[in-house]
Amino acid sequence: MNYGPLIFLSAFFALAGSWFGFVITPQVQIGRLQPTNTLGNPLTYPLARPGLAHQGLEVYRANGCADCHSQQVRQTGVLLEVALADAGTNKPAVVAALVKFKSGLSEADAQRVLAELPKTLLRGIQRQEADAALKLLSTAGAKAALSIVPQGPDLARGWGRRRTVAEDFLYDNPVLLGAQRIGPDLANAGSRRPDLNWELCHLYAPSSEVKGSAMPACRFLFEKRPTEPGLAPEALVFPGGMDPAPGYQILPRPEAMALAAYLLSLRADAPLFEAPLLSSAAATNAPAAPAATTNTPSAHPAKSS
Amino acid sequence: MTPERAQSLPLSAEAAEPRCSEAAVPVWLVVLLLLLAFGGMVYFDQRGGWFNPQVYAPYVSVVELQSFQPPTGGINLERGKQVYESICALCHNPDGAGKPNQAPPFAGSEWVLGNPNRIIRIPLSGLNGPVKVKDVEWNLSMPAMGAALSDDDLAAVLSYMRSSWGNKAAQITPAQVKAVRAEIGNHTQMWTAEQLNAVQ
Amino acid sequence: MNEHGSPSTPATVGTPALTGLSATEIDRSCRAPLLVLFVSAALWLLVGSVFALIASIHFHSPGFLADIAWLSYGRLQPAGTECLLYGFCIQSALGIGLWLFARLGRARLAQSLLAATGALFWNLGTALGLGGILAGDRTGFVCLDMPGYAAPLLLAGYLLIALSSALTFHHRTERSLFVSQWFLLAALFWFPWIYSTAQLFLVTWPVRGVAQAMIGWWFANNLQTVYLGLAGLAFVFYFLPKLTGNDLHSRYLALLTFWMLLLFSSWGGISQSAPTPAWMPTLSTAATVLNLVPLLAVGLSAYQTTRPGSSPRAPSLPLRFVLFGVVAFLVAGLMQVLGVLPRVCEITDLTWFGAARCQLHLFGFFAMTALGAIYYIVPRLLEIESPSSGLVRAHFWLAACGITLVVVPEALAGIAEGLKLQDPNHEFVEVMRGTLHFLRVSTLGLLFIAGGQALFLGNLAAQTFRFSRSRAATTYAEVTADLFKIVEVKP
Repeated sequence: MNYGPLIFLSAFFALAGSWFGFVITPQVQIGRLQPTNTLGNPLTYPLARPGLAHQGLEVYRANGCADCHSQQVRQTGVLLEVALADAGTNKPAVVAALVKFKSGLSEADAQRVLAELPKTLLRGIQRQEADAALKLLSTAGAKAALSIVPQGPDLARGWGRRRTVAEDFLYDNPVLLGAQRIGPDLANAGSRRPDLNWELCHLYAPSSEVKGSAMPACRFLFEKRPTEPGLAPEALVFPGGMDPAPGYQILPRPEAMALAAYLLSLRADAPLFEAPLLSSAAATNAPAAPAATTNTPSAHPAKSS
Repeated sequence: MTPERAQSLPLSAEAAEPRCSEAAVPVWLVVLLLLLAFGGMVYFDQRGGWFNPQVYAPYVSVVELQSFQPPTGGINLERGKQVYESICALCHNPDGAGKPNQAPPFAGSEWVLGNPNRIIRIPLSGLNGPVKVKDVEWNLSMPAMGAALSDDDLAAVLSYMRSSWGNKAAQITPAQVKAVRAEIGNHTQMWTAEQLNAVQ
Repeated sequence: MNEHGSPSTPATVGTPALTGLSATEIDRSCRAPLLVLFVSAALWLLVGSVFALIASIHFHSPGFLADIAWLSYGRLQPAGTECLLYGFCIQSALGIGLWLFARLGRARLAQSLLAATGALFWNLGTALGLGGILAGDRTGFVCLDMPGYAAPLLLAGYLLIALSSALTFHHRTERSLFVSQWFLLAALFWFPWIYSTAQLFLVTWPVRGVAQAMIGWWFANNLQTVYLGLAGLAFVFYFLPKLTGNDLHSRYLALLTFWMLLLFSSWGGISQSAPTPAWMPTLSTAATVLNLVPLLAVGLSAYQTTRPGSSPRAPSLPLRFVLFGVVAFLVAGLMQVLGVLPRVCEITDLTWFGAARCQLHLFGFFAMTALGAIYYIVPRLLEIESPSSGLVRAHFWLAACGITLVVVPEALAGIAEGLKLQDPNHEFVEVMRGTLHFLRVSTLGLLFIAGGQALFLGNLAAQTFRFSRSRAATTYAEVTADLFKIVEVKP
């Protein structure tokens, strides 16, 4: 270790390993990904963001939104569920099928199940078991369906229906995944709350929309004018009693509109091969569990933003 | 040079440049290194997905990932067989050979193997009048045996017919049955062979 | 020995003082570039901590400065980080590195004017980059936020200084290498490589999709843990034996640390929650856990070096800074190892825990070590007496308390936040408000740190002023002596 060039060379090769592993290989594997089909749907995914939303990404970057907001949804597991929606015309056959695959179920209990449809019958099973149960039920003429439900605290909180994967960021430049959650995760902000006025009001005065928010107000993205001679059509409409500037109207600048358009375009819940997802309406009667079984999109009220 | 004294401290005389001792690396450190390296390799084996670009946590392999893919909407041929045996087999025979003077055969029948839009229509509204099946003329009347069946069941039984007794034709999907039902609307009259042959 | 002790025993062993160059001559040759580097580093350090302070006030009062775009959190916070990293950390690493190459190789600093020019370029680049961030041109990648137009200046400045270092190393008279020189050599070439890779693949010709995030994380980890780790450890391995007078324990432990750092640390830093295929975070975790070995090696080395013959009196002030740095290195490293373990990362990922660890490593370890080194070097550089210990002691306590007040509450906030977020019944706003109590203490810590920085800058400025005044006095005396001679001669 007394020979300078030798140290230099060996250090070069030792350090080059990580350059090869984490710079070149990801570029080969991920950097050349192409848009793919969503499962069960001939749509190509992802779709490039429309122009205004793309400009919004620039505003997002310039103002450091990624310093507080992440766009990485995590998933800790996945469950298979079989749910029975309709018993069909041959009820005795269905009862017989139920007794066959659901161990410990008596005939009387099976009859009771048929009276409480739709109902989740099996949860957290292996694929073969699920397939066998589905086959038995459909042979007996009942309508049963399989659900594939990703699990995780982020998903239970309503921040997504599945984890984010590389395909979700294919058309973004730059890709700003964030490193901290001082504010909620935004990967599915658009599907969670597709409300332009809410986004704009939240940017101008966060505490008007989210009580107790510590997000710094971005008033520099807006223009404040007195309400005379008249209210402009694009003026923000604050929720009742939360108007931060009574007597004035707040108008969004182009940057604010672009940023809001970007936020509304954020969604990462299309089912993909690497992040499968399947929900059937039949499972809506499932017993309430700490982890919600179906994170149905936008229709469900934003639990905790 | 007039160095200031005041509250400053005397500049120390320069100590020699440091040297290293030649003490050996303790064995426990080397053992720890090997243990951690081994642990790391086991961890990668279990969770690394072996460099596959499609495997994301929490999945550990493509095989596991495939077991969680949605079903591709396969027809349940078992169900088709059940429906066939309870409804169609009475006249057409469980082995699809038909019954003379009662019902034409299905095995090898060009009607079963041919255009789906024709074979779907027959159970939906019935068939009347002369019809040629496998070079044999039949002139009977078939009621609309499938009118009461659901799209899934009708699709299942037709698919079962098209894949049994030596028949090999593509399955018929519930969507196709639904489309035909929509096309014919409330057509209640029985079909004739000419009308069916005119269907594309 | 220590500052107050008697002159050391004659340097008989180890140092071939026969080659003639005294330490004073070597220091004199380093004067120009090192002064530029250290004074500007001190300035950026202060500016950076002021930015960080104002940024953190945004949490406690959301309407604070909300009408001014360039003072918003999203611009001040990266400005503060970049000031600390590029303005202070890398500049002081380069400066102390130059001095170490000269001293350990027993050679004058080669091309010192080139190095000084490089320092000027670096400062220009940093200023330009900071202006760009405040104007909204930040790239969005942590540690690489300065816009692309600042990069050529920075790279040019670095290369000039690196050239000077390499030439000094090449012309060394002491041929056997000390431990620190290995670390500094590796660090010297690693920075331009990671920096140019990151600039090219993220800013100039951006790669597609999540590959950007991978390269961003790779760069941030290699800059902080590998580059600053190599440089910081070089300083630690030099100053611990130097300031205690003991031998460094031991060459082989240092060798182990060096290779482990190169082989494994450079693979760390990939976020566990990342939307990347599973093999990337998994490899990163496996490599980071192996970091435990160099951590323990450094701890063992530091302990064994400082233990023998320890006098009952307190360690000298530069030594205190370096010791604090070593402890911070160990704690930050441990936090990193814990933070990637599977069960733990589910809780601590994407919380304040990671931010706390990063600040502890950057400021607690590297900055404190560099400050100790600078406090040692500058008086020798300027050939003046050491500064008053009162100010230095005040700086040490302000900095030490400050960083503790910043890191400990943030780490606790991160753990509390992570645990609460596991349960979807806790509303996010409630969880976030719960962390604000901790953040108030952190803001206080940032105030302390900024105060310490001001003392440091003041101290450095005072020393430079004293030096230039004494130089001016000397020059004046020489000139006027001639004048008196002329006057005397005349009858």
